[in-house]
Amino acid sequence: MQKVATFGRITTWLSLAILALVLGACSKFRPAIGYNKNYQPDQPIPYDHSLHVGQYGIKCQYCHNQVERSKHSNIPALSTCMNCHLQVKTDSPHITKMREAYEKGESIEWVRVHMLPDHVQFNHSAHVQKGVSCNTCHGPVDTMKTVYQFEDLSMGWCINCHRQPENKAPLNCTTCHH
Amino acid sequence: MSDMNHHDHSPEIEAMKKAMRPQVETDDRYWRSLEQWGKDPEFQKMAEQEFLSSPLREEDREDGWARREFLKLMGASLALGSAGCLRRPVQKIVPYAKQPEEVTLGQALHYSSTWFDGSETFGLLVKTKEGRPIKLEGNPTHPLSAGALSARGQAMLLSCYDPDRLQGPKHNLQRQGDEKTKEGARSNAETISITWSDLDDKVKAAVSIGNTWILTGHVASPTLRQMIKDFQGSTKAQHVAWEPTSPDALAKGQEASYGTGLVPSYRFDRARVIVSVDADFLGTWLTPMAFNKQFADGRRDVVGMSELVSFDTNYSLTGANADKRFKIKPSQQLTVVMGLLHEIVVKGDMSSGLSMNPALKQTLAAYANASELLGLKDPQAISKVAQSLMKAKGESLVVAGGTAAQTEDAVLLQIAVNALNSALGNDGFTVVYGQAQVALNGSTEELMGLMAAMNEGKVNTLIIHGVNPVYFLGDAFKKALEKVETVVYTGSHMDETAIRADFVAVDHHNVEGWGDSEAVAGVYSIQQPTIRPMYDTRSVLLGFAKWSGSSSSLAKVETDFEAVRMVWKEKIINSGEKGFEDLWYDVLQKGTVGALRSQRDAVRTAKVDALVGIKPEAKSGFELVLYPTVQLGQGELANIGWLQELPDVVTKIVWDNYASISLATAEKLKVSEGDKIELDVDGLKVKIPAHIQPGLHDDVVAVSIGYGRTRSGKVGTGIGVDAYPLVLMKNKAAVFSGRSVALKALGEKYQLANVQGHHTMEGRAIVIEATLKEYLENKSAGVHKHHIFTIWPHHRYDGHKWAMSLDLNTCTGCSACVVACQSENNVPIVGKKFVLQGREMHWIRIDRYYTGEPADAEAVFQPVMCQHCDNAPCETVCPVLATVHSDEGLNEMVYNRCVGTRYCVNNCPYKVRRFNWFNYRKEMRNPEHLAFNPEVGVRVRGVMEKCTFCVQRIKSTKDSLKQQGREMKDGDIKVACQQTCPTGAIVFGDVNDPQSQVHKKFKEEPRSYALIEEFNAAPAVRYQTKIRNNNERTINPRHEEAKKGEHA
Repeated sequence: MQKVATFGRITTWLSLAILALVLGACSKFRPAIGYNKNYQPDQPIPYDHSLHVGQYGIKCQYCHNQVERSKHSNIPALSTCMNCHLQVKTDSPHITKMREAYEKGESIEWVRVHMLPDHVQFNHSAHVQKGVSCNTCHGPVDTMKTVYQFEDLSMGWCINCHRQPENKAPLNCTTCHH
Repeated sequence: MSDMNHHDHSPEIEAMKKAMRPQVETDDRYWRSLEQWGKDPEFQKMAEQEFLSSPLREEDREDGWARREFLKLMGASLALGSAGCLRRPVQKIVPYAKQPEEVTLGQALHYSSTWFDGSETFGLLVKTKEGRPIKLEGNPTHPLSAGALSARGQAMLLSCYDPDRLQGPKHNLQRQGDEKTKEGARSNAETISITWSDLDDKVKAAVSIGNTWILTGHVASPTLRQMIKDFQGSTKAQHVAWEPTSPDALAKGQEASYGTGLVPSYRFDRARVIVSVDADFLGTWLTPMAFNKQFADGRRDVVGMSELVSFDTNYSLTGANADKRFKIKPSQQLTVVMGLLHEIVVKGDMSSGLSMNPALKQTLAAYANASELLGLKDPQAISKVAQSLMKAKGESLVVAGGTAAQTEDAVLLQIAVNALNSALGNDGFTVVYGQAQVALNGSTEELMGLMAAMNEGKVNTLIIHGVNPVYFLGDAFKKALEKVETVVYTGSHMDETAIRADFVAVDHHNVEGWGDSEAVAGVYSIQQPTIRPMYDTRSVLLGFAKWSGSSSSLAKVETDFEAVRMVWKEKIINSGEKGFEDLWYDVLQKGTVGALRSQRDAVRTAKVDALVGIKPEAKSGFELVLYPTVQLGQGELANIGWLQELPDVVTKIVWDNYASISLATAEKLKVSEGDKIELDVDGLKVKIPAHIQPGLHDDVVAVSIGYGRTRSGKVGTGIGVDAYPLVLMKNKAAVFSGRSVALKALGEKYQLANVQGHHTMEGRAIVIEATLKEYLENKSAGVHKHHIFTIWPHHRYDGHKWAMSLDLNTCTGCSACVVACQSENNVPIVGKKFVLQGREMHWIRIDRYYTGEPADAEAVFQPVMCQHCDNAPCETVCPVLATVHSDEGLNEMVYNRCVGTRYCVNNCPYKVRRFNWFNYRKEMRNPEHLAFNPEVGVRVRGVMEKCTFCVQRIKSTKDSLKQQGREMKDGDIKVACQQTCPTGAIVFGDVNDPQSQVHKKFKEEPRSYALIEEFNAAPAVRYQTKIRNNNERTINPRHEEAKKGEHA
């Protein structure tokens, strides 16, 4: 009996050690498991924020126009893009692709960059109303050629802000989880 | 092993520990089941357990691994998952091509709409998200339903997402031989898809031959009525409206008494004394939600509350709410009313409202001793009821009806009731004939005419809409259908009638198409679509337009929208000076047109000739009572799991129907709960499990209709026993009740899943009642004030402090809140097997307590949900802080932290926590998930859940107020159960706001008490005592004693 017990204990410790190693190895390359800081996927149309926002100075809310009244910050409808691109740079192959989709009533499948788990309820409008700048969470989007995730969007990172007394932000669990 | 148990368990220490526990008041006058009443040791054992079986023993579910196996697998998959360090699956965002003006992502849009359930019209507000209806709520502007929505109305949404729905028009190549085919599946040899144009051509050709009949349910829609009229004009078709529970006896009674055969509307709020003879107006009779509201309005002011006396054959919801309930059998219904007539017309000499026939007094003389004839304990019972009716002369109401009163004498009963109301001067005031329920014009007589014509081969084409005659009428209708050349059916499923139709012209769901409804004469509401039709379906309005070949402008409409608009422009909206367009948009926004009349109608004189010469009938032996249930009604919505798992309002049994018999009868037959018995009704034999129902007449056998569907879909097929074959068609009327029945015990066991017994509070004093007399002497009669001592500082709530108040005096137990909560909070259903193990998931339950002896038990209802205690016992035992207290007084449950120890549920004195034993969402079939509320997480296996006070509603209201820059005021937040409650029994709000209703209920209402207050859990839910307007007895003998020996 003694032997079996010892063997069991050894295997347990061994598997835990292996697990720790694997996790450790991972964390070397990533800030933490499950978070996606610096995630920068390719998009179907290489929309350039540094050009539109940085160079031409278009305001965020021009395209993400529902951010002040919705929990979601919307990806603009194609009709928003076409406001300008009916006139501007109509010969570009990417714009052509978009125009064709628009005329057919189809859409573009953008790859989601910022994603919170399903059990997190985040509300953009509440933050924007309070005067939190877009850059605080999304980083210097005006310099990004391709958008990437600037912060790790972890719970600790959220709480860090909510805990600052000057922010007067709620700290209840149901603020985000319900 | 021994060192596992090294704690000292000496008896002295145990006794000392016990003595140190707080004293809990017990109250064994209230009981929930006969097992509890009889102090059955098995029951005591079960009551002590939260869940009835170990999770490790569950093998017959697909994901029922033993826990150890699960841990092994989990360890492996964790290692695998982290080795790759992969990004989670890529998600795509697909924006609109053209932004619809009104849509803001994540913001709900509410559309006004309406739904007619075959008897009652509801004004709806349909909550949609991104073009998908996710919740139905009552429209407060509707004059009748006034914001209430029944359990069935709430659940109706799910039928839109029912996977068993037909997805396009069908053509049945074979109309027979269905018994052999498997449920749902029809082979290509039997059924093929057809295009709408082909279908229209074929139906049009059939209609053009002539001899067309239309069979519909009640048609409340003015547009559809107009469309059918138009269709009849060009095709000479005959129209029959019929539903199995049509109140045609009521209409016939009105005709015999007053000359007009319309179903009147009633005003229970105006009545100070209400006598109901089997009319379950709070449960299923005519327009129960509107009646619930009216009834509560008449009782809200306790001092002037109305009195309800019920003569009940089955134990109905109305009987359960009655101040005095008398058990009778169907053959005694007429005796009750004639007895009352004798007291009032002969003894009280009140006959001014009657066109008096001198022979009537002689007839009534035979009923002088009605109490004795009825076998009532109190020989003065009937005369006492008559006394209170006469005291409330002109402001009382006597009603009878429903299937339980649908005996062979149903029309006579109505004539007698009319005579009573006229004699008492109620006619025109509480019986409003001037604003009749015009839609309820179904006629069994006409249906039998249709069936005769079918059998004679005189019907060439039959168009069936809104009713499922093969299920309701069985073989008789099947046989008659065989003689019909072409059958067109507009149902949504391949159901009992659909497989016997040539063409199934699939209709839109209520949330997909345009329509309207006329609740009572002059009160209209409009139905708007809130989702693009999910499948290739078409509104029935267009069907009639296309098939008629008429040249009218109505028949030329291209859409249902045009049809509705056209009829409203012509008939309903009186545009006057303002243009129609403006008014139309006002109407769409408000959803309703018209109001209830406030002035009284003139008193009519009732003819009584039909009553002359009837004699009291002394029938012996068992009598059958058939009744529809609150959850399933006639049975059309049997495929909705929410309704099947909604506990019956009185018996609290789910997923089954049964024959209710009294305890004495059960002892005589030697059957116990769930044993199968055989009912023999004139040679027709039905095997059905028995349920022992307290408070039932010993000669009554009550069975609910609406069960035993053979082709309702995957959920509803084969649930329960079909009781429709027991309905007798006689003298151009349907006889539901009063038929003689023989009973035989079969010796077979069957398990009925009864939720009452689960989550019990073990006889503690939780529901508090007082009589009106006691209340008038002491406004907090029955409420025991405890001296609570604590060394713990209270929580500080500087901002809001959410709280809820529940008035037991107005709560009728209608159960609409249960389904509303289920819909709002994505609460899963678990199925009968797991309900048997105590694993139902409802966040709000309605406890039904009986009190008194089983033979004459009275009932009390009490909704219980998470009490959001300030000193929550669950919070202190959670090892992972998954349940914590918020600074607004909410007891928060954090699903993603929960590891499923279930300590909290074991420590909860109110038993309101629910555990996800399985991934119930995996059992769902596409597209049922579309009904999910995206603002509420869907819980996975191993997670505890419970009522959150609809925290998502609190949050979204706060957010929208922030945007509007406005302070919150009382009533801004309505939680789901409160929103749908017809009686306003549930009040939610901020108790820190001195102007709020809930603050007043908490601080100023003397009837207010909290559950097990002596525990000092300090719940944020307070109840108000139930007051019975029955001064003949005392409810609180203990109260006086308790006062004397008040504990320190």
